[in-house]
Amino acid sequence: MRLDRLPTLRINPSETCTLHYNGKTSAGVAGDTVATALYANGVRVFGRSLKYHRPRGLYSLDGECSNTCMAVDGIPNVRAENTPAKNGMHIDAQNVQGSADFDWMGFMDKLDWLMPAGFYYRTLHKPACLWPFALKQVRKVAGLGKISPDFKMKGRYAEIYPTADVCVIGGGAAGMSAALAAAEGGLRVILLEARPWLGGSFDYRVSPYDGEKALYQRARELAAQVEAAANIRVFKHAANVGLYNNNLVTAFQVGPEGGAFDERYIEIRAASVVVATGCIERPLLFENNERPGVMQVGCAHRLARTYGLLPGRRAVFSIGHDLGLEAAVDLCDLGMEIACVADIREDGQNPDLLLALAEREIPLLRGWVAAKAYGAKQVKKVTLRTLEGSVKRQLECDLLVASAGRTPLTGPLTLAQARLRFDAHTGYFLPADLPAKMHAAGSLTGRNHPLAIEASGRLAGLKAAADCGANTAEAVAAAAARLSQLPGPERGTKLVMAPVKGRKSFICFDEDTTVKNIKQAIDMGFDVPELIKRFTSAGTGPGQGGIPGHNLPLFAARYQALAGATPVPTTARVPLVPTLLATYAGAHHDMCKRTPLDELQKRDGGVFRRIGVWQRARYFSEDFSCREEVLNVRNNVGMLDGSTLGKFRLHGPDALKALQRVYVGNMVKLTPGKIKYSAMCNEDGCVIDDGVVVKIAENDYYFTTSTVRAGETAEWFRYHTRYDGWDYHIVNFTDALGVINVSGPNARKVLQKVADADLSNEAFPFGGYREFVIQGGIPVRAMRLGFVGELSYELHAPASYMVCLWQILAAAGKEFGIRNFGVEAQNVLRMEKCHIILGVESEQRTNLLDLGLGFLWDRHKTETKTVGTVALRQVEADPARLRLVGIEMDDPRRAPRDGSILVDKRIRGYVCTARRSFTLERSVGMALVEAEMAALGTRLEIYEDECNGQKLAARVVPMPFYDPQGNRMRM
Amino acid sequence: MALTITCPVCGKRNGYEFRYGGEDKGPRPVEEGMTPRSWCDYVHMNACVAGVQKEWWCHKNGCGAWFTIHRNTLTNLEVEGVEVTS
Ligand SMILES: [Zn+2]
Repeated sequence: MRLDRLPTLRINPSETCTLHYNGKTSAGVAGDTVATALYANGVRVFGRSLKYHRPRGLYSLDGECSNTCMAVDGIPNVRAENTPAKNGMHIDAQNVQGSADFDWMGFMDKLDWLMPAGFYYRTLHKPACLWPFALKQVRKVAGLGKISPDFKMKGRYAEIYPTADVCVIGGGAAGMSAALAAAEGGLRVILLEARPWLGGSFDYRVSPYDGEKALYQRARELAAQVEAAANIRVFKHAANVGLYNNNLVTAFQVGPEGGAFDERYIEIRAASVVVATGCIERPLLFENNERPGVMQVGCAHRLARTYGLLPGRRAVFSIGHDLGLEAAVDLCDLGMEIACVADIREDGQNPDLLLALAEREIPLLRGWVAAKAYGAKQVKKVTLRTLEGSVKRQLECDLLVASAGRTPLTGPLTLAQARLRFDAHTGYFLPADLPAKMHAAGSLTGRNHPLAIEASGRLAGLKAAADCGANTAEAVAAAAARLSQLPGPERGTKLVMAPVKGRKSFICFDEDTTVKNIKQAIDMGFDVPELIKRFTSAGTGPGQGGIPGHNLPLFAARYQALAGATPVPTTARVPLVPTLLATYAGAHHDMCKRTPLDELQKRDGGVFRRIGVWQRARYFSEDFSCREEVLNVRNNVGMLDGSTLGKFRLHGPDALKALQRVYVGNMVKLTPGKIKYSAMCNEDGCVIDDGVVVKIAENDYYFTTSTVRAGETAEWFRYHTRYDGWDYHIVNFTDALGVINVSGPNARKVLQKVADADLSNEAFPFGGYREFVIQGGIPVRAMRLGFVGELSYELHAPASYMVCLWQILAAAGKEFGIRNFGVEAQNVLRMEKCHIILGVESEQRTNLLDLGLGFLWDRHKTETKTVGTVALRQVEADPARLRLVGIEMDDPRRAPRDGSILVDKRIRGYVCTARRSFTLERSVGMALVEAEMAALGTRLEIYEDECNGQKLAARVVPMPFYDPQGNRMRM
Repeated sequence: MALTITCPVCGKRNGYEFRYGGEDKGPRPVEEGMTPRSWCDYVHMNACVAGVQKEWWCHKNGCGAWFTIHRNTLTNLEVEGVEVTS
């Protein structure tokens, strides 16, 4: 039965949804979380704990611990308390064998004496041979969610990068007041709120705000003002996960059902930040303090007020803060029997609340605390004791509302490097200093009075506006004066734990760490909280320290009080709340480039592959050996789309100097009409690029780079001339121009039909560069190159002409049987000629000399300070290097896979490219081998993946394999 | 990326747009008398200052300029005073 008339509800009881859990269907209502829907259906045990398989239930209702982490639609470790229930969801309990209620591993709880702190480190590693076995057994019984290796994540994920003047973290009364104040002068404000609605700790409370309104009414009033402000952008259901220097704020937002995204990453760059994250509760430490039926004040109160669910029938309260008294009074009014309220505080309670308790005849025990909860799976009984433990009393109940006090959510501040200091008055860790342009407001600062919370928010908002240049000095002074007249921070409870030994008092629920474990760790010498945290793993679970964050340092200091220890907080880390990796991954657009001939290549049956940033046609048939494509180029004529080649213009008075700096060749000798093949090295002499350079006119050059280097070439030129102040310009034409390769013995016949120039071998010889026009309209830059080893023309033309140019050439070549060839055929053709591709025949450590390309290097141009030449000179005589060699397989029909290693007793090199050559009817390739194995005739053994020890035999042979004199490309 | 960098051409932009070009070690030393060790030191050894250092950045997703900034390596924040060099 829901309390369906409350004005504070955030559910819509008239709209239902159905969940599947434990073989049954459970009905929830719109606005439910998975946890509240299950709670409404009587579920009390939501899962089992990590090590001891203890039953765990609803505790914080904010996902501060793993108690209610469940598998939702196959996704493990979903925080059921924070996840909106959706129709048709499949829910499973975690770390159970059987069900959450009847777990076969429940006996583990009795074995806790076998597992002291640091159990895994200390026990299972010795002897070392035991560990693999132990690991398997531990994994079977311990741990939280499981994921199937085949699991495919569903959903839509997005990311946005908004900018703001002021970013306010936390949409409670303080945060909303800060946002409104900052926005007054027209600044752009972003407000982040983790819950799906604004209101914070006011949202569910009916206590008076002032003479007229209740707190929840005030919260709705502020929310309406915030939502109405055009310059405040509100992100609800957006948990802050990171805060970095320069005021970079990150958050994860859950999208509305049926919206444009399921979850999205938000990265906000703000000039100033207000942190108003408020407080959570400090868990009360007593025996069985995490038994289902034990829950925090806010959890019990919000279950009723927000979700319309009375959390139990008969409750005992053990609290240390006025919010506990307020909840007891309100829950009593809503129909729950309150057996007793034990308040840790002897005095200092709000007199109005004391009066309200008395009016309802609720017994109040001051200076008392819960010491032990009873009940196998759910609380049935509780022992209360006086603080020193001398007097006890037992009460029956099905709900124990327990909380030692409050604890500020300082995570964002610590991420931003704010120093936290223990404040003896409040018992909180409060920021001692804040980074520039960052402000804290609200109950986070220790204030509790509603008006003070709002006033501190307004003050912080005005200060943040001042950071952005707004003239708010007067308003700041007025706001500060107002705040100083309101009640300051309240005295916090000093109690760290109930008067018990602590064998079953859990300081961290996620990692099953008890007070006893902490004592063991300290006794072994782990004396500071950071070390205790790592040794006992307290605070390293999905709750990110939400449960132990405050108690662990308090307890450690208390236990070592004689040694003079003071409480020192542990460090918060990103992400502050658990997040989906899918959201980090974002929308995952495949950002690829396509050439101007993409459509035509597809129409011709191209099989495309991603190569670098490009989609390229790799094959033109299902025969991936490319036999037909290769033989057609060798014997007839073929066409290749080479548009991905890097293409650059370099011009200006100092253009030649720049060329001399980065190319190993001497560019002074360039003459118009002739191309020069050259290479670029890095400072280690390792080859990074090769291509050709053409002198177009005085101080005007055109050059090509390999496909993968195109994006970095301009940067490379500018980097290596950065100290010189030279006057030159580099223009990237890679996308502006396309390239078609016409290759094969019949290439001239095809091209001559459509070109307006004399293409005879005398007029346009090998190594030449010409500019002419195709079919009276298309200007091309033509180069006679021999990459594939045949008569070949490389035609560069503006991208917009490419389709037309291709069609003209295809028509002209029809009578000769011209056909496409793809990147793989080109790869085989060039391999037969031993023309290298950088990155294939080289890796990061391969230098110019290793590749046998030393002839490209002009050793005499020392004054140019050519990149890489110092290192080349130094390694010239080094015998301990790999060499590029040609290899031939003993079996002519069997080439090894690229990348296979060459072995004798150890690895001696690897195969770069090897293919069965249909032209040569041999299997040949190139390999990088240790220099002593580079001599012609050396026998090599090749170890291929999955060869089962059957090595392939090969020997070193002369390069190139095809047309060694190079006559065919000079035809 | 929390880091922002002030490009002399484009102004203050997100660090994602830039490529790091290493510490500013000055122009390449003369080749005369250089040993493999001294060359390797110039190319690969860094001062790794814990504090403010001068370093090269390229506005790769912007104007393409190389320039130096001063950055505090402890806070990962740019320190005022950008010099334009190319
Ligand atoms: Zn720029």
